[in-house]
Amino acid sequence: MKDKENGDDSFQPKDKPSTGVEPKRETPESPKAGPEGATPSAPIAIEKPKAAAAVEQRGDADGSPSSLGDHKPGTDEANPRVAAKSVSTKRPQSFFGERPLPAIEMAPRVLRYRSRRDFLLFGTGALAALAGGAFLLPQDTLGRLGMRRNMDSPGTEWFLNKALRIDDDVAEALYSGNRRVPTYTTSQITPLKNNYNGATPDPGYISGWNLTLDGLASGLGISLDIRNLTSRFSVQEQITRLVCVEGWSAVAWWAGLRFDDLIRAYPPMSQAKWARVESSVNLDASGNPDPYFMSLDLATARHPQTLLATHFNGQPLTVDHGAPLRLLVPVKLGLKNVKAITRITYVAEEPRDYWAERGYSRYDGI
Amino acid sequence: MIHSTPPDCEPNSTSTPPEQTGVLVVRKHHFLVRWSHWLNVPILLGLILTGVSIYWASPVYQHKPDPTTGNFDVAADIGIWICAHVPGQHHYSDPPNWIYNHMSLGPGVLALALRLHWFCAYSFMLNGMVYLAGLVLGGGWRSLLPRRTDVIDALKMFRYYIGFPFAKLTRRNWLHPIFNTKYNALQRAAYFSVPLAGCLSVATGWAIHKPMQLHWLAAIFGGYNAARVWHFWLMWIYVLFLVPHLILVLADGWDTLRSMIVGWSTRLPTRVEPRQVIAHEG
Repeated sequence: MKDKENGDDSFQPKDKPSTGVEPKRETPESPKAGPEGATPSAPIAIEKPKAAAAVEQRGDADGSPSSLGDHKPGTDEANPRVAAKSVSTKRPQSFFGERPLPAIEMAPRVLRYRSRRDFLLFGTGALAALAGGAFLLPQDTLGRLGMRRNMDSPGTEWFLNKALRIDDDVAEALYSGNRRVPTYTTSQITPLKNNYNGATPDPGYISGWNLTLDGLASGLGISLDIRNLTSRFSVQEQITRLVCVEGWSAVAWWAGLRFDDLIRAYPPMSQAKWARVESSVNLDASGNPDPYFMSLDLATARHPQTLLATHFNGQPLTVDHGAPLRLLVPVKLGLKNVKAITRITYVAEEPRDYWAERGYSRYDGI
Repeated sequence: MIHSTPPDCEPNSTSTPPEQTGVLVVRKHHFLVRWSHWLNVPILLGLILTGVSIYWASPVYQHKPDPTTGNFDVAADIGIWICAHVPGQHHYSDPPNWIYNHMSLGPGVLALALRLHWFCAYSFMLNGMVYLAGLVLGGGWRSLLPRRTDVIDALKMFRYYIGFPFAKLTRRNWLHPIFNTKYNALQRAAYFSVPLAGCLSVATGWAIHKPMQLHWLAAIFGGYNAARVWHFWLMWIYVLFLVPHLILVLADGWDTLRSMIVGWSTRLPTRVEPRQVIAHEG
């Protein structure tokens, strides 16, 4: 009986090939345990075969106090499992059937060591998560929690921009010039609110309005008025959804010329990969001039459903919706759909973007 | 192999008696399952806090603007009600924003909330894959699958939980239904449906994040606007799951909580039965 308990003493889980790490850490303890001069790793090395032997032994002498160990690890569980099966379930175990949790006998000191290790690890993880939260959350939110972060961390900006770029890359990878956005019927049209960020401009600008094109292959700047644009290009109409970064959306009827047609008529310089689309009539909330500028990749500009719209819901555009010409790019968020465009510049490098400078994404593909 | 009794066992057995007997433990949770389980805490917290901040920019639940205040947001109404009726909140300076000040990053931080939301969302997807890997590697997925007997067993558990407080009050014996499985039917239903909700949250999230390139996905949920509503209510599944989850884990005891950190449990779930088997045999 006593022998058998000794035999049970140093059971190790059999499927634990990494035991080599732990005994080393435990060497400070083992000298007192094994003064006979066994090398520190020797006991562990012996344990595996011993475990098997002891299990066999126990299997013979059932009913002994140690028969708690009916669940044996790995190979030697055949006996009790058959017995258990004959009582609990008659069905053979299917692939999806739940397996009994394998019970293993562990030396208490190993358990203690592992618990300590795991608690330390998870505690460190919890502290790291707290630090990460303090690093990423805005001042205001932290202040409400009674915390103060004294300096504005440029690292936070960098990190979040990095995360944002990943999302932009995903959006760019998802984009396909051949994929059309869903179109709707007239009965599905919904109201579209005027979401000018600042004040709505005074309609006075419309009479002298011109669209200027820069960065063309010809090297010249070109200025077009609305009559040039509507007479020269074929009209495309579509009922599509406009999705705002704020979360709302609206289905509306739009008509205008294809951006692609304008690009064909006035080809950009060969290095150009981007268009900077600008509205100089944009105002801020207090009514002061606040030019709006936005980056648009040429692949998106050439999308067949990207329009330079002149009409909205059957009528010429009103000032609310960007008369006389606005960008309608349904594969981008609403904030890329510049109202009252005054200038388009083709450039090689990604141009500045009004909302990207205010913490939003640059690419905004949806 | 050579020594029948290793040299270190004899002094051990006399000097430190508690070290003699091994402890029987069962492996409950694969370490990938444990890590991803705990990582869900900050990630889901981040997703919910930033998600409510995003909701602020365009609330799903709106009504006609109030003629005096111009308020149209139901969440603002709730905040106003709380400040009017909940003790200690009467002097709150900004009642319409009470919800957003207490349950989100705050109002008016859409750009930041979106960036953090994307970061947490990508982390959530990666973490979900780690969790699935842990389920597969540890074989734990089998314990989560629904069974034919689940409805009846779940009712038994309901009866147990409902009767438990009364039994305690009347000092009656109230036996826990015996199950031969890792989880009882209610646990299984919860632990099976919450990862499922996670998948749906990811799917609806993509549907409203890329409603044009992935318009087929938005269509599955009834279009862009409906997918937003789905996404909003899926959040409540985590909140509603968390309440009983925390209560029951704490009520169940230290062993259960510890097993999600260390991976093993000293509770042998099927211990009762094999003993009986042996008794029959004997």
